[in-house]
Amino acid sequence: MAKTTNLIEVKNLRRTFGDGVQTQALRDVSFSVKPGEFVAIMGPSGSGKSTLMHILGLLDRASGGEYKFEGKNVNSLGDNELALLRNEKIGFIFQSFNLLQRATVLKNVALPLIYSKNKSNRDARAKKVLESVGLSHRLNYFTNQISGGERQRVAIARALVNNASVIFADEPTGNLDSKSGLQIMKILNRLNTEGHTIILVTHETYTAECAQRIIQMKDGEIISDEKVEKRRGIHSKDVIK
Amino acid sequence: MLLSSLELALQSLKTHKMRTFLSVLGMAIGIASIIVVFSAGAGVKGLLFDQIESFGMDSIQVEIKVPSGKKGIASEQQSAISLLQGAQVTTLKLDDLEDILKLSNVEDGYGLLMTQEAVTYRNKVYRTFIWSTGDTFINIDQTKVGSGRFFSKSENRSLARVVVLGSQVKERLFGDNDPIGKTIKIRKARFKVIGVMEERGSVMTFNFDDFIYVPIRTMHKKIMGVDFLHNIILKVADMEIVDETAEKIKMVLRDNHNIAPPKEIQEGWMDTGNDDFRVMSMTEILDLWNEMSSILTLLLVAIVAISLVVGGVGVMNVMFVIVNERTPEIGLRKAVGAKYSDIMKQFLVESILITFTGGVVGTILGILISFLVFIGANQFGIDWNFVLPIKSFVVAILFSIIFGVFFGIYPARKAARLNPIEAIWRED
Repeated sequence: MAKTTNLIEVKNLRRTFGDGVQTQALRDVSFSVKPGEFVAIMGPSGSGKSTLMHILGLLDRASGGEYKFEGKNVNSLGDNELALLRNEKIGFIFQSFNLLQRATVLKNVALPLIYSKNKSNRDARAKKVLESVGLSHRLNYFTNQISGGERQRVAIARALVNNASVIFADEPTGNLDSKSGLQIMKILNRLNTEGHTIILVTHETYTAECAQRIIQMKDGEIISDEKVEKRRGIHSKDVIK
Repeated sequence: MLLSSLELALQSLKTHKMRTFLSVLGMAIGIASIIVVFSAGAGVKGLLFDQIESFGMDSIQVEIKVPSGKKGIASEQQSAISLLQGAQVTTLKLDDLEDILKLSNVEDGYGLLMTQEAVTYRNKVYRTFIWSTGDTFINIDQTKVGSGRFFSKSENRSLARVVVLGSQVKERLFGDNDPIGKTIKIRKARFKVIGVMEERGSVMTFNFDDFIYVPIRTMHKKIMGVDFLHNIILKVADMEIVDETAEKIKMVLRDNHNIAPPKEIQEGWMDTGNDDFRVMSMTEILDLWNEMSSILTLLLVAIVAISLVVGGVGVMNVMFVIVNERTPEIGLRKAVGAKYSDIMKQFLVESILITFTGGVVGTILGILISFLVFIGANQFGIDWNFVLPIKSFVVAILFSIIFGVFFGIYPARKAARLNPIEAIWRED
């Protein structure tokens, strides 16, 4: 019964890099995420948190173990099926924003809709999401004409335009000043309260404390998986693992 | 998706104007060359057709050939080589012409012997071609007498020393003076000028204005001491049975020259190697020239296609640069749901857009150059036709699209196969 309610479920997930000398980036990682959760994955550089996010975000494939997304075993899915899932269910927010420089804010947000089954009213849908992140006045700006905080909000809008059920945010405040960073975290919080599942990869404790749950990683393994009772600063921890 | 790809491609090409211009130019030059070659080929064909037609399409030509033990094209090649090496064939005679003229479908005809001689008028010496022929030449050929008259049958029979000058020869020897009644010397023999031909220009490889027309019998008996001909030109009455007439001519000549008929009858001008003559109707000559010019055009197109390949490699190079530059973008597109086929399509559209634009620009350029060639040729008095064969456009457009796919597919595949993770984090 519990299995069906999980949005993400991984068991003994492994990821190895290299042909000769192999590096194990993930070692038997197991955990699950329920719909609507806000999970932060923390850990020092090289701990495997980004590798985990790439596999969870269907950008990479695991070397071993099992990964179920919405109950579907993704190991058995082809590249096109993974692309479709990424398009319809997943949104990404990257530290370096990863926006198209040659395209306007509006076109950047509408980008996933080009590859979507439902291509109708692309600009109207993109406009609506941009309004929700407070950027309706920047529609026709190019991305080099707006601030870092605004760029990250464009990236958030892009992640939301297909109404993704889960948003993966990889160090979303890493390139921002504290004020802009706070704004971004507020938006992520709001999206979470609206029902979006958020998986945040960060090394900042302050940012991670916005989440309901913090997974700590080290050397490719989960060393702790804690529930945050009081989010953002004042909290008590309920050790799950 | 296709529209989006087109939009993206246009955007990308607009961003790097100089790079795009140079890639398009490379293709355009290749395509323009193809258009020009096709147009020139058609122009030459038209020119040849007009010239051959001026001999009269209702005629048959008999020419000398060195007999060969070989057959077909090998026999023709051997004969041509032997003639070039100086072999003489002296078996074609005026008697042959007389016998052929007895055939029912042969209306008229003349024999021909062409030599090159130095002619003198007073202290002026001019080396020119002597076109020794019969009096019927003027009735069959399109050359017209400008002033004076052509020699008569009786003058030919009586070995009269009379000549008719080509317009260029007249200019060289007499300038603006009237040459009629004047005397020129050929091999120290005196000839009276009785006429001057109208200007005709070059036909095939002959410049008819640079000829002196002399009665064939006079030339045979009084000047050269020979009795053979190089060619016989015949006018046929009914073109429907021209092939049968040609066969009959062959039979007459084989009979006269004691040549055994071939075991297998071969139709057309290319016959057994034993013959010391070749019989061709003008339609066959026309077909032959058509075939030759088509082969030449194809050969030139093949050479020109090399420049297209060079242009295509340029496009491929640019596509690799574009893929390299846009690797993070490709990663991002894959992250937001682009499939392998989406990325392939995007870069192929861009590559085809470059080559297709090159094709369109090249076609316009080709038309302009062909038109300039037409104007230039006509300025020089060449009756050149401005022809743009439809197949040149088909080839140009097909080539540009095929090259776009061919030279774009490898870079596009490279882009589509990129790992999204590696692509997205690659430094710009």
